[in-house]
Amino acid sequence: MATTTATLTLSSADLVGNSLNLSSASALNKAGTNTGLDQASGLSRKQTSSVDTYTVYKADEYTANKAHKVYLKNISTTATEFFTVTIDDAELGRLYAGDFTFFPWAAADGVKAAFTVTFAATWATDDTAVFDGVTITLAATETVAAMAILVGAAKYPNFTAAVTATGVVTFTAKDSNDLSLIEEGAASDDYVITTAGNGTGTVARTVAPVASSSDIKITPSVATAMTLESMLIFEA
Amino acid sequence: MATTTATISLNSSDITGDPLSLSKTATLTKAQGTDGLNQFTGITTLVYSGAQTATPLVLAASYVDTTVAHKVYIRNTSTSAVDFINIEIGSSNTILGRLYAGDWAFFPWDGTNDIDIDTSGALTVEFGVFSQSAVSA
Repeated sequence: MATTTATLTLSSADLVGNSLNLSSASALNKAGTNTGLDQASGLSRKQTSSVDTYTVYKADEYTANKAHKVYLKNISTTATEFFTVTIDDAELGRLYAGDFTFFPWAAADGVKAAFTVTFAATWATDDTAVFDGVTITLAATETVAAMAILVGAAKYPNFTAAVTATGVVTFTAKDSNDLSLIEEGAASDDYVITTAGNGTGTVARTVAPVASSSDIKITPSVATAMTLESMLIFEA
Repeated sequence: MATTTATISLNSSDITGDPLSLSKTATLTKAQGTDGLNQFTGITTLVYSGAQTATPLVLAASYVDTTVAHKVYIRNTSTSAVDFINIEIGSSNTILGRLYAGDWAFFPWDGTNDIDIDTSGALTVEFGVFSQSAVSA
């Protein structure tokens, strides 16, 4: 069990009539426990070079509704330069030059798209199945079970695949923000099958995707170089 | 012109291979300038006798927005590990995260979205808003 403390001190001699001197210290514990958070991303820096929106932390990669903590700092020294910090599309605020922030993060997951391909009939030599840039070409006639095993064993850039029943492969998107809906049916334009014989592969959607609403994103105010310092302290 | 500073310290001898000892200080200035933020709500303590759902904490309508550098401080003063506060942003109540017992948050706020909270039960919330009275030119 790691022990990490976060302390915030707010001070001002002249903001209000009495001097302000607030200090809050917190031991960073796992959700609902007195056990310390035990994982950290390490302190990192990223230089941006456009006014595009950058994703700093993806909710899909962390467990939802824990006690994760995020630290961000705008390293800029130019007063007009800021990062707009958003939680997915919900605008939180602007981090101006030299500002830092430290806040809890829910990392609420989205829903990853999934579909099945059910193989049937006879699969012959040189028949192909093409999906996500991966082409599977048969070297010999195969049963539907063997065809499914070949398809399920392949590595896809944006999906994971597994044989979930005899002759059936389930594909699941790796990212909930991939909102592409794979066309359904025996003649899908997305999952393309070419057969010399009568082999078929019928696509059926099983899970419709829902984008994550919790990714932490920043948008730089200028296209010239700006640097964000960040760290995530989290739990499994 | 007021001068307010915020300092964060993150320390751990064992969360990574090398000790973590981070300390950063920021002077809270208005957007795009060097003048200090000039408004402060004071630190407010709210005692809730039961669980809350989407209870407004900071209302955007009370502040100027967009080109601003407001800062919000929120703390869960509970000492019971299971008590938590959900901080929520905007009309869709997008959940920022959970503050468990003793946890605090300090974040920039541009005054465009309300800040609401849920609580897991009866507990006390401490919060304050540092803001600017007018939008920066």
